[in-house]
Amino acid sequence: MDFAIDSATQQRIEKLQELGREHMRPLGIEADKLGRPTPPDHPYFEKLVAMGYGRTRYKGRKGQDDTPVKSADKNKAKKRARSRASLLLSEEMSYWDRGVAVSAPGPGLGEGAIMSMGTEDQKERYLSPFIKLDKPRWGAFAMTEPAAGSDVAGIQTRAIKDGDNWVLIGNKSFSGNSSRSDFILVWATVDPSLGRGGHRAFLVERGMPGLQDFHIEKKMGLKAYESTSFRLEECRVPGENLLGGEAYYESRAGFKGAMATFNATRPLIAAMAVGIGRSALDESLAFARENQMLDDSRVRDRLERVTRKLRVARLLCLKAAWLADNQRPNIVEASMSKAVAPTAAFEATSFGMELLGMVGGRGDHLIEKLFRDVKAMDIVEGTGQIQRVVMARQLVGLPHG
Amino acid sequence: MFELDPGEDLTLIVDVVQRFSTDILSQQYRDFEANEAIPEAVLNSYSALGLSAMELPESLGGAGLGSRAKCTILEELGYGDPGATLALDGIGPALYALAELGGDSAVERIILPRLSDPSARIALIWDDGDARKKDSLCRADNRYSGTVPWLPCADADLLVILDKQGASLIESGFTFSPLRGSGLRAAGAAELVLDQAAIIERWDEPAGAARALAKWQLYIAALLVGVSRVAAETSREYAMERVAFGKPIAHHQALAFLITDMHTAVDSSRLLVQDAACRADAGQPFVEAAATAFVEASENALFVTPNALQIFGGQGFMQDLPLEKYMREARTLSLLAGGIDRAKEIAGQALCRIEGTVELSALALSR
Ligand SMILES: Cc1cc2nc3c(=O)[nH]c(=O)nc-3n(C[C@H](O)[C@H](O)[C@H](O)COP(=O)(O)OP(=O)(O)OC[C@H]3O[C@@H](n4cnc5c(N)ncnc54)[C@H](O)[C@@H]3O)c2cc1C
Repeated sequence: MDFAIDSATQQRIEKLQELGREHMRPLGIEADKLGRPTPPDHPYFEKLVAMGYGRTRYKGRKGQDDTPVKSADKNKAKKRARSRASLLLSEEMSYWDRGVAVSAPGPGLGEGAIMSMGTEDQKERYLSPFIKLDKPRWGAFAMTEPAAGSDVAGIQTRAIKDGDNWVLIGNKSFSGNSSRSDFILVWATVDPSLGRGGHRAFLVERGMPGLQDFHIEKKMGLKAYESTSFRLEECRVPGENLLGGEAYYESRAGFKGAMATFNATRPLIAAMAVGIGRSALDESLAFARENQMLDDSRVRDRLERVTRKLRVARLLCLKAAWLADNQRPNIVEASMSKAVAPTAAFEATSFGMELLGMVGGRGDHLIEKLFRDVKAMDIVEGTGQIQRVVMARQLVGLPHG
Repeated sequence: MFELDPGEDLTLIVDVVQRFSTDILSQQYRDFEANEAIPEAVLNSYSALGLSAMELPESLGGAGLGSRAKCTILEELGYGDPGATLALDGIGPALYALAELGGDSAVERIILPRLSDPSARIALIWDDGDARKKDSLCRADNRYSGTVPWLPCADADLLVILDKQGASLIESGFTFSPLRGSGLRAAGAAELVLDQAAIIERWDEPAGAARALAKWQLYIAALLVGVSRVAAETSREYAMERVAFGKPIAHHQALAFLITDMHTAVDSSRLLVQDAACRADAGQPFVEAAATAFVEASENALFVTPNALQIFGGQGFMQDLPLEKYMREARTLSLLAGGIDRAKEIAGQALCRIEGTVELSALALSR
């Protein structure tokens, strides 16, 4: 396995470190204090856009690609290490602030599904504004509902065909950045009794009548980005906004698109957990050093454990990404990383609190914030339990359902 | 083995406290947190329960109910809101330092006049005597200086500083500055700065200091049992209602076993707390047993509360529900009374003092 970092990725990490120190960390702390997400018109988002962040992987309509031919080999090599590179970048971003990282403009979690399932027109319409952003723009992904999260097959939001249009009725929960998004990729069902087979995805645009009642949740942590619940009250969506078009669903189960996104992102979320854990470890080491606690074997033993568990978690992430880069199946490894990293990171923050002692009770130390941020990592993109279910299906043939 | 049956008297009191805890504390916890204080009406209804003198001996006008009763009641209050409990019981564990070190005379002079005043506050502070720490306290020439980074109270009219050797009483020369606090916000949160604060009374007796710390550890451990229990119960009930993949999530074995382990953890903590408290009531050595109970209650609370949140999935992370609060309370409670490492140190000492040649383990387990 080759875990070496190429120089371009190294440079991007260094750029992120600067951004993280100057902007992400302070913004995360500010949002946490104020108890609200960074507002969409904050100059930080303009700055990100100017720096080239938030862009889509979509390259524009075929034939418009103006990449010079001579760099094709280089591109190929870059592509081969793409998962590892994005992994390390995710970890670094999250090290500075996971909430701020997710608040960044960009097409959002739905990008993968649009790339794999969307028609050429849909890609052009929804992703091309993200090729080179003219201003901060967001896209969102809404699968989870009040009564269905892990068991996505159980979503209740109804999609009813009405002439050329679709009418969407239902409630969505905790959708990241959704109230500020140009579009939300909304998952609904034409018939709940069909399970996954009944699923359809819709590109619902901001301002469409019936897309309403946005409610930004008050969270334990990760306050810098919005997790928003909303309602689809007979929301009328033109037929052309059905992701992939009618034909797509006639040929296969509607559900696959969403799962494909999850597959690719699991190690990324795990890496973000590692970032949070590393941040807590750094603060713990600094505190222990400052207070001359490192010669206490009780303290050192636990710092050793925290370090070891984070190291393991990071290697598991890298292995999953390396397999992906080499087009090898990584379903077990991706879940393994996602099952392990959030727990390792949780321990890092919780032990950090213990190390701080009474300082931890103040509510103004970074470790205290990380302790509140970290728990979500074991819930998003498949809970720790669901990762084990996925692995058990592979390893011991655990039956579905 | 201690008597597991709490007896009729205690059962009656527990019923009343339970009602207060679930009807008032569990209902208003978010308001308490937001205001970082308890409204006067709640303070008054708590003082109407007449619990403030429950631990004092009858000779001093108390109910003489002892540690076991106190721990049982603290568990109930902790079930409702541990931060509020700290605010309601304004004298709280400071009683132990005064009683164990100052004796009846200190209790009569310092505690009794404050019993009828629900707003009286005595802050108890642990001075671990570790001068290497940046925030360490310094006692010299009968004066205290230094900073206590956090206390779960907004202010206090009296300070008792407990250390390994004894305790010091301080009446002036200090300032509280408000903080946001992490957990236990209902109690308020402040940083305390002591500037050449005069020690008006000083008691030196290491064995008494150890007993005072032990009772403080039991106090916190009992609250931890309460938080763990409410988290475990709430998530068990939810898991039986919430359906995923065609059945209640509680019936997926991964969660079923997790829930059983959480339930076990709560019982384990409670047994250790009650065992140590009963030893104290029987006049037996209880210092190491109390430290053991504190370590176990802390570890178990840090196992139960994050998992309770996990069982609620995404909702658990939202502040509409109290799961995230349980986790913060567990984490911050276990920082008090000297913290987990101090307790481990004390609990471990039990092993050095066992004498004899056979069945050392039996002796170790019964310490
Ligand atoms: C900060 C945050 C951001 C989020 N952002 C988004 C977003 O942008 N878009 C979006 O669509 N959603 C988002 N979510 C929702 C998230 O994807 C769901 O919370 C997650 O999928 C879990 O679903 P749930 O909350 O309904 O929990 P449930 O599925 O109800 O699970 C409850 C508990 O049951 C367990 N469980 C479920 N099934 C099994 C089983 N078979 N075996 C064992 N245990 C089981 C779970 O592990 C969990 O502990 C977000 C959530 C959070 C906290």
